[in-house]
Order: sequence, then structure tokens, then C-alpha cells
Amino acid sequence: MKKPAQADLQRWSEEVARDATSLAFLPLARAYRRQGQRAAAKQLCLRGLEHYPTHAEAHSLLALLYLEDGERAKAADEWSMVLRMDPNHFDALRGIGFCYLEQDQLSLARQALERAALLRPQDAAVEEALKVLGTRQELHSGGTRTNAWSDDLKSARTDREGDDIAHSAAVGVRADSSADTVADAGAYEPWAESPSTVAPEAPVISAPPVMAAPTPPAVRPAQQPLSSDPSEIFAALMTGGPLLGVLLLDGQGLVMAGSLGDGSAGSAELLGATLGPAISEAARTVSLLSLGGWRGMLLEAGTAVLHVSPVRDDAVVLLAARRNAPTGWVLRTAGQASEIAVRYLEEYA
Amino acid sequence: MSDVYTEAVERLSRVNGVRGALLVDAEAGLPVTSELAEGVSGTAVAALASSLFRRTAQASDAAGYGRLATMQLEADEGHVIAVDAGELIIVVIAARDAQLGLVRLEAHRAAESLA
Repeated sequence: MKKPAQADLQRWSEEVARDATSLAFLPLARAYRRQGQRAAAKQLCLRGLEHYPTHAEAHSLLALLYLEDGERAKAADEWSMVLRMDPNHFDALRGIGFCYLEQDQLSLARQALERAALLRPQDAAVEEALKVLGTRQELHSGGTRTNAWSDDLKSARTDREGDDIAHSAAVGVRADSSADTVADAGAYEPWAESPSTVAPEAPVISAPPVMAAPTPPAVRPAQQPLSSDPSEIFAALMTGGPLLGVLLLDGQGLVMAGSLGDGSAGSAELLGATLGPAISEAARTVSLLSLGGWRGMLLEAGTAVLHVSPVRDDAVVLLAARRNAPTGWVLRTAGQASEIAVRYLEEYA
Repeated sequence: MSDVYTEAVERLSRVNGVRGALLVDAEAGLPVTSELAEGVSGTAVAALASSLFRRTAQASDAAGYGRLATMQLEADEGHVIAVDAGELIIVVIAARDAQLGLVRLEAHRAAESLA
């Protein structure tokens, strides 16, 4: 990211001096931050926010400044504010996700980080954090460690640099991803460096051996033996995580196999009955648009994500997952559920 | 025709891989504004998409999963994405190789600006 020119700095300074309501406070604050003048940058942000209390980017920058000064609670508060204004603010999702992770609030961390991952699937910091988070949750479920994340941070950071830096490097927070044009000229992204440009002294957060991901099963869930109990045929997929349940429905929307996580046969029947008629409409819609054959339908509702996909000509698989499940994960899991359903139909139905 | 509506549809249509977009009156199932390929009936797409959206929304609600925000149809040759925008439904038709994440993001942004 290029440095702001001296002329820009001069101009922004003059603008802010001349007009206290000028939006130039933001690029100027960024520039100050880059120069290490965090107190001045913070003051500019706070003043600017008096005039623009809902300026998400200013709150986001202030969050970074707080974080760098070790004021994590304040940083989290600022990012929370950003998310109330813009629920899809990547930097805020990533920042608060790491705050939650550090506080061991794993469920909240997952929600924030998975939303961040949806917005920027290639973000290496988020990807790494999700890996660590997954391992942490595995360990929690096994009850083997209680404070592994703090230990990880400690083991990952260098002695020279403090916990904040380690946290920051892990967070990989950018100062301003969606700033306006003026701000872009002064944008500074110390933590957004690609691996090839990371300074040699930068601490690298990686999971120590004790945090290594569990060895994947030798047999994929879709290839494991089927349960003779129809309600349990998708049990191999139900290994925790965001999956709520999987149903195999016939052409009339009746449940042939599977179950939903709440154990309520009633809601499974209800869902099958109400979604059943939608299947033919889905097929007609894609046909009208000359999009070829219908392959599936993803529904994102208030508390859950549902995926419906056809199996052979006379059945569908319905998967329900928690709302924070990443879309890519839902689609892949739905694919495995379909494989299981096909085997079940071939062997039993 | 509201410029806001037209702008929203035009912006969506500019996303790589998007073949067409339309705003549909959620209750009536009629197109409000659209940019579709020649030969594609906006009225028919609006009617089918809104009917499907309503039906799946009812199912979600009845099952206790809350209000439906997004419906995404996957087909051999592309995708149809429908997003709740209050009294409107935003419908986007995308090619198979479209950057779906970007399309969905733009559709949600449009929904926020219109709702």
C-alpha cells in the first residue's frame, strides 16, 4: 500500500484545521497511525466521530488503535459498533472474531470468523484462525485443555514483541478495506501482507503440535457402513459442528430416512410436507431460464441454512445447518449426504 | 420508475457472470424493474421466483427457522439467487462460472439499500 504523499498530509491537516467537520480526519488519522502517532490518530478519530457517530470506517480505525494500545475491550466495543452499522464489515468481523477467540468464546468466534470467511474466502488470517478454532473446539469437546489459545499465542509470538503484536499478527487486521477514494491514498495495511511480504521478524501464528488437527477418518462419511435404522443413516455426518440434521424425502415430501437435530419427528414431517411442493417449482424456474437441470436449492433463514438436492428422480435430500455454517461447507456436506442417500435407496428402499 | 430500483438492477447486472436481474413485488409476484436477456419473460420469471420464494419462506417459518433471507437455486448451467428486500424480492440469474460470493454480496447490499 503506497504511503500518502506529504502534500496529501498537508492538505488533510489544513482541511481538518479549517473545518472540524471535514471527513479528511480519517485519512489523516490513518497517516498518523502509520507514522506511529497513535495518540494523535485516536484523538482525530474521536473528534471525527463526534460529528459522524455512525462512520463505520472511523470506528473500525479506532478499534485498531485501541487494539494496538492493548485496550482490547474497547477495540471489541468499537468493532461491535461497526457491525451494528454494517453487519458485513469484513475488518470488524475478523477483528471481533479474534477477540472472541482470545477470550475463549469459541461459538461467537466461529460466527464472526465464518462470516468473514464468506466475505473473503481467501483471507489467510481468517482461514488460519478457523483452523485453530476448530482444533480448540475439538479439544474442548475432549476436555483435554482449557486455555490452549493463550498458550498458542504465547508459543507463537517472539520474545521481543508483546502479546499485542502476536494478537495483531494473528488477526491480520486491515486498517481500511473499503475506504473512500481520499482515504485510499493514505491507506495502510500493516497486517494485511501476503506471506511473501511478511517481514522476517513478524511472528507467525501456527498451531503447535498439541493443537494439530485430528487425523481424518480413513473412510469418508459417505462411504461408511449404513445404519439399519433409517433415522440414523446420516449419523456419520453428525460429528458436531453446525449440522442440525439430514432428511431423505420422497416425491410427496414424506420422510424416508434421517432426522433433524432436535429429535422432533413432527418438525421433520412438517418441513418435508411444506418444502415438497417447492421442488417442482424449483425445477420449472430453472427450466424457464434455460439453465438446464435443477441441482439443488439453498435457503438461508433466520436461524438455519437449508439445502435441498434431488436424489434420483423420486427423492430429495434436505440438510439443515446452523445459520453460521459456511456456504461452501453446506454444499460439500450436502454432496456427501446425497451419496449416502443414493446408497440407502439402492440397498434398502 | 424509481431510479433507486433501476440503479440497483443495473449495478447487479454489471457483476461478472450475471445474466440478468430483476426486482419483484413480493406480494403480487410482478416484476418492478428488470434487465434480462432477450427472450426471457420477466413476468414469468417474477411469478415463478416469487412463488417459490414465498413457499420456501413459509416452510422455513413453519419449521421454526425464522424468516427466509436468501434462496439460491443451483442448476446445470447457472444459478438463480433471490434475496428478501422487504416488499421486494431481488432475483439475480448468474452463469455457472460466476463468482457466486460476489453476486450474493451485491444482492445483499442491494437488498439492504432497498428494504
